[in-house]
Amino acid sequence: MRRLRVQLTVLLAMLGLLVAAWGATIFLGARNAALLNASEQVEVSRFDELRRIAIDFEMKFVDAETNQRIFLLTGNAGARARYALARRRADDRLGRVRTLALPWPTLLPRIDRVQTAYVKWAKAAEGEVKARDRFGPGAAAVVVSQGASQNRFTELRIHHTALDQLLAGLQVTAARQQHSTYRDTQRLALYAAVMILATVTLIFVYLRRAVGAPADALRSASGRLAGGDLDTPVELPVPNELGAVAGDLEVMRRRLAGRMDALQRLRDLSANVVGATSLQGLCNVALAGLGPEVGAARAALAAVDQQGRLQLRALAGFSDPAVAEMIVKADEEIRAALPLGDLYDGQVVGFADVDHVASRAAEPVRELVARMGSRSLALVPLVSRGSFVGLLGLFWSEHHPLDQEQEALLGLAGNQIAGALAAALRYEEAERAAGEARAVFYAIADGVLLTDPAGRVTAMNRAMELLSGWTEVEVQGMPYADVLPVEEEGSIPIRPEARPLARAIATGEPASDQGYGVDLVTRDGRRVPVAVSSAPILDPTGRVVGAVDVVRDVSREREVDEVKTALISTVSHELRTPLTLIHGFAELLVLRDMPVERQRASAEEILEASRRLARLIDDLLSVSRMESGRLVLDPRPLDLASVVERILSPFRAMAARHTIRAEVAGGLPVVWGDPDKVDQILTNLVGNAIKYSPGGGEVVVSVAPLPEAREARLPEAREARLPEAREARLLGAREARLLGAGEADLVQVSVRDQGIGMSPGEMGQLFEKFYRVDRDEVRRAGGTGLGLYITKRLVEMHGGRIWVESRLGAGSVFSFTLPSRDDLVGRGSR
Amino acid sequence: MKLLIADDEPSVRSLVHVTLEGDEHTILEASDGVEALEVARSEHPSLVLLDIMMPRLDGLAVCRAIKSDPATSGTVVVMLTAQAQDRDRDQGLAAGADDYFTKPFSPLALLNMVERVRKTRRGPGQANPRRP
Repeated sequence: MRRLRVQLTVLLAMLGLLVAAWGATIFLGARNAALLNASEQVEVSRFDELRRIAIDFEMKFVDAETNQRIFLLTGNAGARARYALARRRADDRLGRVRTLALPWPTLLPRIDRVQTAYVKWAKAAEGEVKARDRFGPGAAAVVVSQGASQNRFTELRIHHTALDQLLAGLQVTAARQQHSTYRDTQRLALYAAVMILATVTLIFVYLRRAVGAPADALRSASGRLAGGDLDTPVELPVPNELGAVAGDLEVMRRRLAGRMDALQRLRDLSANVVGATSLQGLCNVALAGLGPEVGAARAALAAVDQQGRLQLRALAGFSDPAVAEMIVKADEEIRAALPLGDLYDGQVVGFADVDHVASRAAEPVRELVARMGSRSLALVPLVSRGSFVGLLGLFWSEHHPLDQEQEALLGLAGNQIAGALAAALRYEEAERAAGEARAVFYAIADGVLLTDPAGRVTAMNRAMELLSGWTEVEVQGMPYADVLPVEEEGSIPIRPEARPLARAIATGEPASDQGYGVDLVTRDGRRVPVAVSSAPILDPTGRVVGAVDVVRDVSREREVDEVKTALISTVSHELRTPLTLIHGFAELLVLRDMPVERQRASAEEILEASRRLARLIDDLLSVSRMESGRLVLDPRPLDLASVVERILSPFRAMAARHTIRAEVAGGLPVVWGDPDKVDQILTNLVGNAIKYSPGGGEVVVSVAPLPEAREARLPEAREARLPEAREARLLGAREARLLGAGEADLVQVSVRDQGIGMSPGEMGQLFEKFYRVDRDEVRRAGGTGLGLYITKRLVEMHGGRIWVESRLGAGSVFSFTLPSRDDLVGRGSR
Repeated sequence: MKLLIADDEPSVRSLVHVTLEGDEHTILEASDGVEALEVARSEHPSLVLLDIMMPRLDGLAVCRAIKSDPATSGTVVVMLTAQAQDRDRDQGLAAGADDYFTKPFSPLALLNMVERVRKTRRGPGQANPRRP
């Protein structure tokens, strides 16, 4: 667009040419005039000379004629000489006139006519002179009287006068011509001036149109731009540089308007991102705000987690779930490939076209981005308050280099999003903490109740609902003391202000009631022993804004405590009783004189008490070993028939009132068991059978493979404990099946007596530690309450099972099973 | 003096019997709490030796019943028990027992105690001697 310059150059050149032409015109005109003037001057002076010589010629030929006449009349020689001289002079003058008149050809005919007349006169005059000379004065007079020369002279004078008149006319014409040359020159100068004026006016008009008006328009447009009006377009349809300037201004205006729009959108973005509380929401908002700006259609948001690791947290715009899943899976890979150094410096990193990224570090990114169906990406670091909190990735499917403007925009947007991300992460953390607190609150096994500072219930957990019988919804706003009334020992209500929660609110310090004797009265009136601890809830300034009451049901603990106490009591009692006897009788033996038989009886008491003590200690040690898992079986194949026989023989010897019998089925399989322990089991059961049948009777030990063993039951007992027996049998069979063995793999041993028997109530805890049937006959028989417990444990360690069928006063049958394969030993219930 | 020994262990009753025999005492025996209370009410023994862990009714309940019944409240009750912890002792004394013997006990100490009770009862016009 050099047109204006070209045009102005052309105009100026034209102007210069015109001025030069004008100057030249004036100069040339003047010179021409001067030249004309000079030539005319020469012409005029020539005319003057011509006329002067013509007149001089007239004077000479008049002089010659005069002197001729004189001579003719007088014959004066002087006159004759003067005539000759005047003739020569006249000839000369005529010659000069002829020469001078050469430039004017129009004069020549006239001069010729004058010359002809002169020559005719001269000839006539000469003739007369000559005639005088020869003929004397008379002849002359005759000649003169003839008047030939006189006529010729008159003719000459006429022609000469005509020439003179012509010359005079020509002289006037020349003078007039000289005058007209001046006027021509003046006129030319005037025309030139007018033309220059016209041209200048033209140039002025042109400049006004081509430069002045557009300049004004530009000025007002730039004024508008400066004043902030970005909406009015700059339009100047002038095809020159000013038009180009206007075009540039328009581009500038659009760009500025674009920036203003971008700023506006940034402001909107900032307003929107502040509202986003979830990371997914933030990612969506960021994409919605930035996507149209830079043309990206997809975004990914990563955040630095608590451990300082960058984690992908949200994706937006990925319509293909497979791709999204792939990105999530490749999270680690991406992180490793990120140009973190630049990002930590807060620099927006753009990969305009991943296919052309040369750097090796970016190779995995290139592959991944390509797999995602993207060709370009921009990584926007999110830096909040100087710390790197995350990363926003934008993706393009096509080649997309970031221009400076977009990079700056992304950088700015990054700052906005970073602030929102930091806030969202804090919010998330707070939510998580609140969720955690809520989960703990509701899941905790102790009853927890929250109140406001006035002690009104605001929340209550499940355990508290179960404990108190109220539901959380019902108790909202109720005074907590109405929801959880408590009593001291003796059903005395505890005053609300004395309770830990009230103390915690009053003092701002935790408080508790951990001692025994606090009972919670439930909604349905039950009393539950509880331990209560409370703490105030403080705000950051230390003001009490509420309180928490933790109520633990300690009934189980109390039970355990009581059981423990009872156990200690029992053991203590069982140890002290034989000790008392040993001590007492021994002291009596030492200090007292007694008859011999009394002494013997006392010694027997001491002996029996010692045995009892030893048995008790053995039993306690067995229990302890079994319970700590230190009792290990040493299983071997056993021939039960001989084992039973061996166990029974000492009993047969001791028990005179009992008939002791063994019923061993034929074809019994070999049984696996620890010989000592099987001995112990059988000894305990047979010993019990004898001990609890003080009236004597039959004690039968039957051994049979499990199917046949069913018949070895007491007919009466079958009715009494049938359900349990059936269950036991079924269980036995089931266990055997579960163990991968048929029923033939178990051998059942039963010990039947005809003793005191038991009622169903008495059998309930029969196999439990230290349990003794609370009956005089039983007490009289003595015992620690450990025998059956130990027996049961031993049977179970062998993979067998023990059960009892009994009827009060009709005797009991204790049965147990033993495995016939060694791989079953130890695989039963423990 | 008429004495009652209540204990579910026959050997313990036998020990007490042997310890106190030959001193002109009438020794009654009971093997559980209910029996002990019946004997105490029917025979009005001067001294009752009570075991705590007894079938049917425990010694503490027997003691409380004896002490709360005006007809028997004058009876001296001595707990003779294997319950040796302080708490058990306190419970025994709270139930109104006059003394508390822990098993194993010394027959001699029991004898001395019975002698003191006898003296208190034998000395008419005498104030009850202060017990240690």
